[in-house]
Amino acid sequence: MSASRLRASSFAPLLWVGPAMALIAVVVLWPVIIMIRTAFQHISPDGFILGSAGWRNFHYLWQEPDLGGILIRTVIWVIVVVAATMLISLAMAQLFNQKFPGRRVARWALIAPWAASVMMTSIVFRWALDPNNGVINVFLHDIGYLNRFNSDASDWLGSPGTAFAWMMVVAVFVSIPFATYALLAGLQGIPTDIYEAARVDGAGAWRTYRTITLPLLRPAFVVALLINVINVFNSFPIIWEMTRGGPGHQTSTTTTFMYQLKQSYIGESAAMSVLNFGLVMIVVLLYLRATAKRREDI
Amino acid sequence: MRVTGRTFLAGGISAALALTLGLFAAAPAHADTVLTLVAADYGTGPKDSSQIYWQKIADDFHAANPSITVKVQTVNWNDFDTKIQTMVQNRQYPDITEGDYFSNYAQEGLLYKVSDVMTDPSNLMPAFTKLGSYEGAQYGMPFTTSSRTLFYNKKLFAEAGIAAAPKTWDELMTDAGKITAKGHIGYGMPLGPEEAQAETLLWLLGNGGGYQTADGKWAINSPQNVETLEFMTKLVKAGDTEPNPGTKNRAAILEQFAQGQIGMVNGITTLLPIIKTAGALTDADWGTAPITGKAGPLDSTLGVCDFMAAFKTDGSKQEAIKKFVDFALADQYQIAFSEEYNLLPGTVSGAAAFSKLDPALAPFMAALPKAVQYPSDTVWAQVKTQIQQQIGTAIGPDPKSVLDSLQATAEKGE
Repeated sequence: MSASRLRASSFAPLLWVGPAMALIAVVVLWPVIIMIRTAFQHISPDGFILGSAGWRNFHYLWQEPDLGGILIRTVIWVIVVVAATMLISLAMAQLFNQKFPGRRVARWALIAPWAASVMMTSIVFRWALDPNNGVINVFLHDIGYLNRFNSDASDWLGSPGTAFAWMMVVAVFVSIPFATYALLAGLQGIPTDIYEAARVDGAGAWRTYRTITLPLLRPAFVVALLINVINVFNSFPIIWEMTRGGPGHQTSTTTTFMYQLKQSYIGESAAMSVLNFGLVMIVVLLYLRATAKRREDI
Repeated sequence: MRVTGRTFLAGGISAALALTLGLFAAAPAHADTVLTLVAADYGTGPKDSSQIYWQKIADDFHAANPSITVKVQTVNWNDFDTKIQTMVQNRQYPDITEGDYFSNYAQEGLLYKVSDVMTDPSNLMPAFTKLGSYEGAQYGMPFTTSSRTLFYNKKLFAEAGIAAAPKTWDELMTDAGKITAKGHIGYGMPLGPEEAQAETLLWLLGNGGGYQTADGKWAINSPQNVETLEFMTKLVKAGDTEPNPGTKNRAAILEQFAQGQIGMVNGITTLLPIIKTAGALTDADWGTAPITGKAGPLDSTLGVCDFMAAFKTDGSKQEAIKKFVDFALADQYQIAFSEEYNLLPGTVSGAAAFSKLDPALAPFMAALPKAVQYPSDTVWAQVKTQIQQQIGTAIGPDPKSVLDSLQATAEKGE
């Protein structure tokens, strides 16, 4: 083999990997670089670069009186929504794995909240919770729980506590289908002979679930969990459509807060974006560690 | 196979290129000038969308000037500011806007001076010249105007045994309380993001306050203003308003007033068609009165003006824009707009012609010249955004800290 041919063949792999690498560079790396650069620039609200800002954008961000509450709320948002989603989905997957009449239709129906636009779902819930004539309030009024329309009790989205709780309900509602399907796929991948062996050995239902189903479900569970965490963390339409983060920023998470900052303070918004990016990276690293550990287990 | 795929792709690209080039080649040598107009939508639904109004002008204009095409895009009021700002941030400038005008675009040199894009600037309503100006030059062309007044539901007033509209805050609170006791909403206070800056200012004026002092210094956290917010909090705490005003938008509150569920709101003439559409109130069921103040009604109200503004983009369309602006601000279109939305014209000749047609709106027009206006500072865009987002939280135990932070936003500038 001549030297030139050797050189040519060593370039060949690059030809195959090249497009993918270029795609990653343009779609993933480039925006990250721009984001970090923007975080250090002084930019007018209309997008004109007025020079370097040093660390000032981050400084302004730390000084936002609402930032602490927003960060805490974001953590609560992710943990509660994901935990509730995964628990309910475990039960749902188990249910849909059983044979029962109408299972096929029920499985289709489960897709609905997933297939519907999240923004649409959020708007439907916002109207259903309207303090004056929302269908949920009308129902609560009819069963005697609610005394009066246009009262604090009927204005679920008006006060931060109840608004946030309802938004979590919506977030869980739209997250369940995917998690359930991921877990259902996992359940169907577990060989039936293991269950037979367990039954022969006299294992009870709970013990079978704990020692056979759960461990074998782990890969599907971890994937569903990670995708959920990232989805829920980035969730924008639910909060935006239901409360716009208001009153004030009292129902904002870091994602909606970042968007609101962008309106007036682009640099500071980019700084918030960098912080968000860091938080997502932490989650991804935890995931990588979890999966690496599993490989060692095997 | 892969090679074939790539060849196919390459073929596709060159075909597309050829097609594009072909299109360009097919166009006449003197390509049409295309103007992009982005306007706020004043309508309440598809039937009275401003898209229809502007499209009519665009079509008429195109018929008169076949070489110029105007592309009309209307944007929901709630999203208008954000939409324009996003276009500017992305350097995708519209040619003409109609809606809110911000002097920061003039400051950045993005806008044409009015004298560059209009034959007779003296026909623009002089009361709003300052609001549409930056450093002495006018950039915003008053297009439509309005003044605020207190609307009250006479039916609910009678039901609660109230004889006349309130003049002072205390009377307003008493009346609102009586209406609330009958199971309605006493006073509608829209402090949600849509237009919180207007409702807030109307209250501040009632106590001799405002966003700025008479000589143009920011005074958002002045003692009078703090006192005003404390009174508003008292009103809300007493249950005399809708719950959680900081999350309720103007459109929803006006709609509820039109349905006969609210005793009093500060409104604009645009409320008239909404009342008509809702069909719950007859003309005898509601009335208007001057806006209440702490000790007595306001003698000057808030005057609001929406402007047309022309962006320079690459500077090549000035003549076309000028033709269109002259065309669109003609009296017939000014009157058509005012009739459609019950707003007031923005031009002198339009206002004169309209007063003759609709005497009911004449008092509103008379109030305009001495009306209080929003600040014209370039930082107003940010201050307004912050007021919209934050003022609702000032209804609570600590209004001062919220006003302090708004004041800081104004003083920080950009």
